[in-house]
Amino acid sequence: MNIHKYEKAWLVAAMVLIVGFIATITYGAVGPGIAMIDDDAGSIDPNEISDHERFGETGVEHLGGNEYEVDVVAQAWSYSPSEIEVPAGSEVTFYVTSRDVTHSFTVVGTNVNTMVVPGQISEMTVKFDEPGEYGILCNEYCGQGHHTMEGLLTVVPEDEFDLTELSTDAPREVEAGNETTINATVNNGMQDGLETTATLEIGEQQYERDVTIDGEGSAELTFDVDTDALGAGEHDWTLTVDDHEESGTLSVVSETDGGDTNE
Amino acid sequence: MEVTRMSSTASRTYLDQFPAEAKVIKAAFWSSFMALAIGGLLGLVQALHRTDVLRFIDSADYYTVLTAHGILLAITFTIFFLVGIFTWAVTTSLDRGVVDIRFTWAWYIMMVVGTILVGVSILGGVVDAIPMYADVLFTFYAPLQAHPAFYVGLVLFVVGSWLAGADWFRTWWAWRKENPDERIPLPTFMALTTTLFWYLCTLGVALSILVFLLPWSLGIVDSVNPLLTRTLFWYFGHAVVYFWLMPAYMMWYIMLPKLSGGKLFSDPLARVVFVLFLLLSTPVGIHHQYLDPGIAEGYKFIAMTNTMFLLLPSLLTAFTVVASMEHGARQRGGTGYLGWLKALPWRDPVFTGMALAGLMFAAAGFSGMINAGMNINYLVHNSWWVVGHFHLTVGTAVALTFMAAAYWFIPQVTGKELWSRQLALGQVLVWFVGMTFMSNAMHRAGLFGMPRRTAEPQYQGFNFDPAVGTVGEINAQVALGAVLLTVALAMFLLNMVLTSFNDDSDSLPANTYAGTLSGPEDSPAVLDNLKLWTAIAVVLVIVGYTLPLASIVESGGLFGPDIGGFQLAIETDPALVLESVREVMP
Amino acid sequence: MASATEQRETDQVREIGHEEYDPVGTAILIGIYFLILVLLWLFMYFVEFLGNGPTVVGALLTVVGLA
Repeated sequence: MNIHKYEKAWLVAAMVLIVGFIATITYGAVGPGIAMIDDDAGSIDPNEISDHERFGETGVEHLGGNEYEVDVVAQAWSYSPSEIEVPAGSEVTFYVTSRDVTHSFTVVGTNVNTMVVPGQISEMTVKFDEPGEYGILCNEYCGQGHHTMEGLLTVVPEDEFDLTELSTDAPREVEAGNETTINATVNNGMQDGLETTATLEIGEQQYERDVTIDGEGSAELTFDVDTDALGAGEHDWTLTVDDHEESGTLSVVSETDGGDTNE
Repeated sequence: MEVTRMSSTASRTYLDQFPAEAKVIKAAFWSSFMALAIGGLLGLVQALHRTDVLRFIDSADYYTVLTAHGILLAITFTIFFLVGIFTWAVTTSLDRGVVDIRFTWAWYIMMVVGTILVGVSILGGVVDAIPMYADVLFTFYAPLQAHPAFYVGLVLFVVGSWLAGADWFRTWWAWRKENPDERIPLPTFMALTTTLFWYLCTLGVALSILVFLLPWSLGIVDSVNPLLTRTLFWYFGHAVVYFWLMPAYMMWYIMLPKLSGGKLFSDPLARVVFVLFLLLSTPVGIHHQYLDPGIAEGYKFIAMTNTMFLLLPSLLTAFTVVASMEHGARQRGGTGYLGWLKALPWRDPVFTGMALAGLMFAAAGFSGMINAGMNINYLVHNSWWVVGHFHLTVGTAVALTFMAAAYWFIPQVTGKELWSRQLALGQVLVWFVGMTFMSNAMHRAGLFGMPRRTAEPQYQGFNFDPAVGTVGEINAQVALGAVLLTVALAMFLLNMVLTSFNDDSDSLPANTYAGTLSGPEDSPAVLDNLKLWTAIAVVLVIVGYTLPLASIVESGGLFGPDIGGFQLAIETDPALVLESVREVMP
Repeated sequence: MASATEQRETDQVREIGHEEYDPVGTAILIGIYFLILVLLWLFMYFVEFLGNGPTVVGALLTVVGLA
């Protein structure tokens, strides 16, 4: 072979370029620790998603410390859940699978991006250092409504984040003079214990309870309401635990005009 | 471009030499142009729709348009032109006709029938009278399911191209009997090596369609493994881009030096380049699946290494082709370190079109290097960046080279003079400018997360946040670029149509290609040992694909876990569609 | 050698053979291309990619951290 010396030099330069590219990618894997989506999370039967230990209930789960798991099911043309909230400073592992065709789970403006292939589970671990709000979109064609498939990922400041769920059980109507109670259940989804205060405001009255819940536990709260003090009429009430609020209205009716009271 | 020949026999056009073959080639070129005309026009519809400049179709129909655009341009336009050029290359360089012209017509007709089947099934997406559905894009990822006619059409088209390859091989074998001791002429060598890797890579998509997708669409089997058919698609899906590209490379190697007034710098290196493409085109497909679950990182890394080494033949080509052009320029009186560039025949549309196509391919080379990078795919995968990339490669390096080549080829196969060289020169320039606007804007949009393959990249809950510029400015560039490209397309088609109405001309240049500075005698004979290179290519494919495929089959099953077909239309509740499909495929 | 290869161009003012031809202009152009590739690659990888917010990392780091 008769190769010109300039072309030989270019051949060497081209090899340097190629090796340099591979070296850069390898640096990305070893230095900043970027890992590829792989086969670690295994396969899944799309017909069994609802009974699957991971995807039966989707959403954010606390694993302990700053580690969270987010389970997402993609389907035409939405994500379940469509809104995800995680704290800043967390390390979040996403598990995503598809109920129907191929989708993607792509967090806009970040390097969080995976194909979601039916039959497979995509697993990716991401560190969220700073609070922020990111769109989620599907970048693989998945039918005529493909362009409407989106979600939202919010990274909230660490001290504003919890996995507390509040639900209440209260009567709509009560006769004046009778004792009544407003009941609440507080669920703590975090692995860590929760110490906080529950406040019930009704009319001019205010009741407070200290609440202590173990990790992954729940507490039942009972507020005895003094209907005499409230007097007859409509009374709006609000039950607050940290940032969570439940509210309702309690009607106190006097015995004399209470023909329709039937409690 | 006045070309004269010293040899007395060859002041003849291709039509004079091979009138029967010229007819098939002309038919193939016109099939290609028709696909280009329809596909290109649909591209304008998409560009205006996506950017919200002009929306006159329903967003749900956008995907029918996109499927047609992808298939017509990426498959039909490119491959019809390829079979024309390769038939020209083999017969011209061997100086003999095909063995049996009826066989040549047979594969051409088979490809046409395949195209029509695919086209009609796609049209079913917007025409109610056609009870077919094929809104599956050109990747047809299961479990999106097309009408069986779509898959059958694809198979016919591919088998037609296989027979075309067989035709070239038969012609070469016949020539070899007559010329036992000669080296394979370079154009034939290029056509044969390209055909070999085409056979190798299309096995994957043939397997995917014939064993899995077609029986599944016919209801013979109930389920597919989507990751398996997807992997088989990409086994074919990257090599196909080299299949489109090789005729353009052939033009750059054997026409550009001649048009520049020089000779090919190195025939041996050209052979090395095509051998490298034969070896490496196929075991790289997994680089389209860097972000797929179910494939281990190690396999992705191997695919990346192969892909990066596949840069080598392209980088070598850049040098050889530019050096050949420089040789021509200097023979034409060009001087200086870079002053010779002025001596190139820039007024020749065939030269300028190919040179600009090559320049854009240099830019495409860069975005391709990014695409090849494994972890950087988190940034660019399935974003508009990728669309910008392949509008530089198939949309310019290939398409513009083909259009420029047509300005030379159509006179050669029709015996008619090109209607207007000025219009042709303007056309290649307008295409270049249009693509500069469109492609650069697409690349930038991809970097802030704008997705590809979507009718309305405008979302309810969030906005894109470009670091530089605005979304509106990017959309404007894409729309402007698309309009310019459509204008260029119209200029091209007008010139082609009016050329075919021209009178026969007897002042056409002879059917020749470039000579060489360093000829095949400078290269070892082993380069022409096609059996050896094919064997090594097969081994590389086995090494690259056995383990990933085995692990995909092991985890998901050969036919997957009861995954039926989906045809997700917006009018119906997807949940209902899901149920009805499950009923059809229990 | 096939008979169809081009022998001569009318615009040609001189004949340059293989031995006397050094593609110096090509070497310059390809050198510039090389530099552009290297600089753009570094920009794309280290600024556009690594600067693009949260990235998928391996669980490997945690394992190492606990060990």
